[in-house]
Amino acid sequence: MNIEKKKENLWDSIFKKEWSYSKGAVIISFFAIALVIVTGKAWGVTGPYSIWGGKVLSWLGVNVDSWRAFNGSVGKYVFANSQPSLTNLGIVLGALLSVLLAASFKFKKIKNGKQVGAAILGGLLMGIGARITPGCNIGAFFSGLPAFSLAGWVFMVSIFLGAAVGSKMLKNWFM
Amino acid sequence: MNEQIKRSTSRKKATPEQRRRRKIIQISLGVILFAIMVIIASLFQEISPKAGFVLFIGIALGYTLQRSRFCFTASLRDPILTGGTNLTKAVIIALTLSSIGFMAINMSKFGLDMSAYDLSIIAGNVKPVGINTAIGAFLFGIGAVIAGGCASGTLMRMGEGFAQQWLAFVFFVIGSVIGVIIAVPMKAVPILKGKAIFLPEALGGWVPAIILQFGLLALVYLLADWWGKRKSTGIL
Repeated sequence: MNIEKKKENLWDSIFKKEWSYSKGAVIISFFAIALVIVTGKAWGVTGPYSIWGGKVLSWLGVNVDSWRAFNGSVGKYVFANSQPSLTNLGIVLGALLSVLLAASFKFKKIKNGKQVGAAILGGLLMGIGARITPGCNIGAFFSGLPAFSLAGWVFMVSIFLGAAVGSKMLKNWFM
Repeated sequence: MNEQIKRSTSRKKATPEQRRRRKIIQISLGVILFAIMVIIASLFQEISPKAGFVLFIGIALGYTLQRSRFCFTASLRDPILTGGTNLTKAVIIALTLSSIGFMAINMSKFGLDMSAYDLSIIAGNVKPVGINTAIGAFLFGIGAVIAGGCASGTLMRMGEGFAQQWLAFVFFVIGSVIGVIIAVPMKAVPILKGKAIFLPEALGGWVPAIILQFGLLALVYLLADWWGKRKSTGIL
């Protein structure tokens, strides 16, 4: 009985205990650098999103590869050759693994219409923004600023201003 | 596969079961998931030589993001909404560590005198900077706060089981298609296209770039620290 309890505690201290923000920062940087060293390409997230959308459209019978926006990239796309596609799948699975091993998985339903509106508007703005920049908070910022890129610094200032406006909108409309 | 695990665990949660039993089920599912990951990775590995490794880097990133509640959106939003800057400071620590790592790789590639400088082999993303960078990042910042997750945060919450982020993801993809169409005419306008600026090249060497890069990071860190220690909470 006693031994069993101790075992549980050891499991919890490894898989359930939350890590500090600083510990997270150190480990995330470590893996981001490891990725660059091994593959030569930095961590990115949103690059393949437009291709995924294009794939769905092409399954629906739309010839997206004739569009200038895609220019044949949808047909050529291979999931296993696309670094951000692989890390994206990994992030979803890794987060799921984390909550399962901590025995804290819980399906969280959408509570109200405001959350639906927030998800739709927020998702659309992130998608459009990430293709105009081009890049998201990972590709253009987290893999850009540390590369001594001016674009990364401009991204940081601009995303902060956007977050300030977004916070105001969140508070007034979506909360 | 995700869906199945999700449905079965949510059903288990709905019935009044012992906590202990739920724990055993979830941990077992976690172990099964890990085995599935290994199988998926080895299948990808046959198509592309580094795919298995890359998938596992992603898994490690997702695991770490979840375990440490590391969220870029909150790091930008909290200083404004609640006045908290602990996460903001953690993001600056991550940026500083990555800066050191990328700098070391690029120094070994280009030499300390930058004589072998070549933008095409640079470690990290040095992308063109133009007005489009500011507009896109601004829109992205609004969207991330409203949707409750940025690019990495949305994926992390999808894994955690948040339905709202699954919906946000669908519209993230739709927005990306709209964005890639908008980007075509934008690229024809020079100020919206921009030019890649690598600080050591633009400032004439590593030393001024290092002073600027780490000086600014230190400044932002101190600013965040000061903001977090103020008595008031947020500005909205």
